[in-house]
Amino acid sequence: MYLQLQNLLPVYFEESKKQTSEIWGKDLRFEKGEMIKIVAPSGSGKTSLTHFIYGTRSDYKGTITYNDSNIKQFSFENFAGWRKDHLSIVFQDLRLFPEQTVFENIDIKRQLNAFHTVEKIKEMAERLGVGKKLGAKAKTCSYGEQQRVAVIRALMQPFDFLILDEPFSHLDTINRQIAMELMLEEAKTRAATIILADLQRVDFFPYTKIFYL
Amino acid sequence: MVSFKPIKPLLQTGTKASSRWLSYIGLGAGVLLLLVSIQMFINLDQLLNKVNTRKDGFDFISISKKINDENQTIKSVFSTQEIKELQSKPFVDGVAPLIANEFRVHISAQGIFGTDLFLETLENEFIDTVPNSFQWTQGQMIVPLIISSDFLEAYNVFAPGNNLPQMSAETVTRLPITIQCSGQGKQISMQGRIVAFSDRINSVLVPKSFLDWANQNLGEVSEHGATRLFIKTKDANNPDFLSYLDKKNYLINKDKTRLGRTKQTLQAVFSGLGIFGLLVVVMALMLFSFYLQLLIARSRDSLQLLLLLGYSPTWLSKNVSRQFIPVYILIVLSALALTQVLQWAFHHTVMYDRPELSSAVNWVVALIAAGLIILSIVTNYRLVRKLVYKLY
Repeated sequence: MYLQLQNLLPVYFEESKKQTSEIWGKDLRFEKGEMIKIVAPSGSGKTSLTHFIYGTRSDYKGTITYNDSNIKQFSFENFAGWRKDHLSIVFQDLRLFPEQTVFENIDIKRQLNAFHTVEKIKEMAERLGVGKKLGAKAKTCSYGEQQRVAVIRALMQPFDFLILDEPFSHLDTINRQIAMELMLEEAKTRAATIILADLQRVDFFPYTKIFYL
Repeated sequence: MVSFKPIKPLLQTGTKASSRWLSYIGLGAGVLLLLVSIQMFINLDQLLNKVNTRKDGFDFISISKKINDENQTIKSVFSTQEIKELQSKPFVDGVAPLIANEFRVHISAQGIFGTDLFLETLENEFIDTVPNSFQWTQGQMIVPLIISSDFLEAYNVFAPGNNLPQMSAETVTRLPITIQCSGQGKQISMQGRIVAFSDRINSVLVPKSFLDWANQNLGEVSEHGATRLFIKTKDANNPDFLSYLDKKNYLINKDKTRLGRTKQTLQAVFSGLGIFGLLVVVMALMLFSFYLQLLIARSRDSLQLLLLLGYSPTWLSKNVSRQFIPVYILIVLSALALTQVLQWAFHHTVMYDRPELSSAVNWVVALIAAGLIILSIVTNYRLVRKLVYKLY
C-alpha cells in the first residue's frame, strides 16, 4: 500500500510554486508505515493538499495514486469505500455534527466500519480528557474539546493512511502530547502511515520524512 | 450491516410538516380517483357487454343514410365504394346490402287486408331464421316470405279495432297471400306464403333469386343500390364503430345501440375522471418531490459530512428514500381499500348484486395500485439519489 503524488499543483497556484516547494511539482511516494511531516505556513496550500489526498477536492494538476489507482478515476462509491476502509482524516475545521452528542459523533464513524468496540470510545475520551463530555452536544464543547473528539472519531475505523490537518491548533502542550501518543499507538496497531500537516514543527511526532510545502 | 438509526435524526424534516401532509392527502385523493374511475370503467364494460342478445357471437344491425333537409333530393343509397370501406373496418365482420323492390308491390290476404308494401332481400347468412322452404326458382308460383315478428304483433294490436281477426303465427303461415307486382307496363300476380318470422330484420324478405328476377323484369329504376345495409359485428356497442357511423352520417337501428351510446358517454366521463385522477397523482408526486428536495437541502450539511466520513451515496439514497415507503404503501392501500368499499356499495345498493358485476375490485385495479406503489418508490429513490450525488 502506498500513496504517490506526481507533479501535483493546485490549478490556482502559479507554476513558480514548484520551485520553492518540496511537495508541489515533485514526484513523491509514501509507503505504508511511514511518518510524514509536512510543514506548511499559511497560504502554502496545506488544507488544499489534505483535501486533494482525501479526495474531497480535485482542482489540481498532476496525479494522486493509491496503489496505482488514480483517484481522479474514482467513482463516488469508490471514494466511500476507500474512506471507510483505508483513509481517515482530522479536518482543520473538524466537521462535527453540532446537534449530535460527542458520543454520537464518534459512534457514527465507528458503526460504519468498526475497528474498536463501543467501550473503547469511553476509554479514549477519558484518556484525552473529554470523558465527561460524551453526553453533551458537540456544539456546546470548546474548540479544543471538539478537536479531541475529531481525533477520537478518526481512530474508530481501520485505515492505512491517517491525514491530520493542524490537529492540535487549540490544544495545550500536555494534551498535544497525549493526543499524539494515542494516534501513534493506533497507527502502529494498523501499521499505517500518518501524514501530519501543520504550520510549524510539532514536537512529539517522530517523523521519518519531513517536507516544506 | 450499517444501521440507519443514528443517521435518521440528522435529517432535518423541518418544523412545518404541512407541505408533506398536503402531498400525502393529494396523493391519496388522486390515487382514489384514478382507481375508482378504472373500476367504474370496467364495471360499465362488464355490464353492457352482456346486455346484447348475441347470435353466434355476433351482432347484426342495419344502417341507412341520414335523410335531412339538405340531402333529401339526393338518392341516399350506399355506393359500392362505401360498402367496401365499411367491409375494411376492423370492427365490421361482414356487410350485406338490403336490396329493395324497384317496382310496385301490392299485397292482399283473402280480402282481410290489402296494402302497398315493399319487399327486400338479404343474404341468408344475415337472416336469423331461414327455413329450407325459403327458396325460389323461376316459374315457381309461390314466393316464400320472411316477415318481421313486429309486423304480426302490430297487426294483432290494430286488428280488433278494425273488425279483423287476430292471428297466431301458425295461422299466418297458412294464410294464402296474393302478391301483385307491377312495372314496365306489366303486371304479375304471384302467391306468397309466410315461412318464418325474424326478430332481427324489420322488413318483408323474399329470396334473392326472386327479387333479382322481378327487378330485372319489372324494375323501373335505372340506378341500383341498397338503401339499407346489414352489418355483422362482434360488438355493436364498440365506441369506434359508433363514432365511425356518426362521422359518416349513417343512421342505425337505435334500439341495438342505445346502451352502447350510454356506455360511450359514461366511459368518456370516467376516462375524463381517470385522467384527472392521474393528473392529481402526478401533481402530488411533484409536490412530494419538492418536499424531498427541501428535506435534502435542509440536511445538506449533515449528508455532506456523512459522505465525507465514508458513507456510501447509494446506501444513503436508499435509506433516505426508504423512510417514505411505508407512507406510500399506506396511502395507496387505503385508496384501494376505499375503492373496494365503494365497489361493494355500488354493486350491492345501486346494482342490486347483479351477477354481471363483482363486489370485489377488478384485478386490473389492484395491479394498477401495485404499479403506483412501485412507481412512487422508484421515482422517489431516483430523485434522492440524484440530489445526494449532487452533494459530492
